[in-house]
Amino acid sequence: MKLVIVDYGMGNLRSVTSAIRYLGYEQVEISNDPLVLSCADKLILPGVGNYARAMSRINELNLTDIIRSLVLADRKPILGICLGMQLMGKSSTEGGFNEGLCLVDGLVEAFEVKDLKVPHVGYNQVTPCQNSRLYSEVGGEPDYYFTHSFRMTSQTDIGNTTCFYGERFIAGFEVENIAGVQFHPELSQTNGLKLLKNFIELF
Amino acid sequence: MLRNRLIFGLIYSSGSFMQSRNFRLQRVGDVNWLEKNYKFQKISFSLDELVVLDATKGEKNIEKFSQVVSRLVEDVFIPIAAGGGIRKIGDAELLFNSGADKVILNSPLYDDPKLAEEVVNRYGSQSLVASVDYKVINDVPIVHIHDGVTPVKKSLEEYLAYLESLGVGEIIFNSIDKDGTGFGYDLENIKKYAKSVSVPFIVMGGAGNKFHLSSGLSIDGVSAVATANLFNFIGDGLPIARSHMLEHNANLARWD
Repeated sequence: MKLVIVDYGMGNLRSVTSAIRYLGYEQVEISNDPLVLSCADKLILPGVGNYARAMSRINELNLTDIIRSLVLADRKPILGICLGMQLMGKSSTEGGFNEGLCLVDGLVEAFEVKDLKVPHVGYNQVTPCQNSRLYSEVGGEPDYYFTHSFRMTSQTDIGNTTCFYGERFIAGFEVENIAGVQFHPELSQTNGLKLLKNFIELF
Repeated sequence: MLRNRLIFGLIYSSGSFMQSRNFRLQRVGDVNWLEKNYKFQKISFSLDELVVLDATKGEKNIEKFSQVVSRLVEDVFIPIAAGGGIRKIGDAELLFNSGADKVILNSPLYDDPKLAEEVVNRYGSQSLVASVDYKVINDVPIVHIHDGVTPVKKSLEEYLAYLESLGVGEIIFNSIDKDGTGFGYDLENIKKYAKSVSVPFIVMGGAGNKFHLSSGLSIDGVSAVATANLFNFIGDGLPIARSHMLEHNANLARWD
């Protein structure tokens, strides 16, 4: 099993890598080399920070078309984490309107609820989608660590796992080979470790 | 439901971990002592977050500090916030690359607000935690920077609003008077200010036992309670405190 963490210069790659190693998967590589990406069994797209900046970094590295073709044509499994998950949608309004990787039908916008502390920070419970693979053997409405000011919504069923914070938003999705989570599994104790393992084993 | 958080703080100074009392530091032990007595890989399962602060007086060595951070984060799967001595964006970057998920700024928020702006632009608001130290003088809480030495001219209310305008993602509200006393949080001022900001509000300074932690969380507007009391929570202190809080229906995350 060869896992590649896509590095576009933003985000805490270290904690994702160490969580995966902790689970016993030794073949983890951090890379933005198209050749390395295409040889991976599975891709992980992490990310922390500003959407506009992230998309421009990905475009500068000419990764947009490569990721799209690996995921949509070759059906390589991919897991987006936090900003990485948001990048997989159609667009975001963070830092102006920007197109995303368009892997799923989701729009990213700021939280719209008044009287709410934003960013949404801390552990919150999620409601997994029916027959979820990601949350397999994670019981009930598990807690995961969130930290974000923008959130995704969708008009389509993309295997939505939801979370409530003033409003319901997409905490994660899973369609065929494509999965994403708004929260940080690598910072969510046993609940997060199980989710990472599920992605690696079940996708 | 969004959970409240239990946060453990570590005060570091020139190679050692310290017990701070009213900002006077007492050496407790080095990183080996800490690993022996706190076993973070195990204890982190009772915590929601770890805060690591370099409180070295005078010149701080950010490279050395970041090495300590990177050792602490090994196999610890909760967020780590680190700070103390960040004076330029490269310092923040070093800490992020060493495994910190957030950085903490204190004095530069006042002295060099551009740095806060840079961190927010580069890493996002959620990556920046503002630490506010205050002491009560003639019944008025006054913000102090530079390790609690220099009073700030703005009122506490103005200062908190100012921090929000900088785009900080969270605020640690730390009482210098209560720091390390183990007498409990400064509930009076926490009640007054917790709801005055729209970002998550973390209270620190004074918690000496599980009841103090619970009482901090019971205040409306408090998102998280923090303690940096190395003596009072040694051994199984933190796991015991967390189970006590959960048994009393504290709104904390649950792990299998």
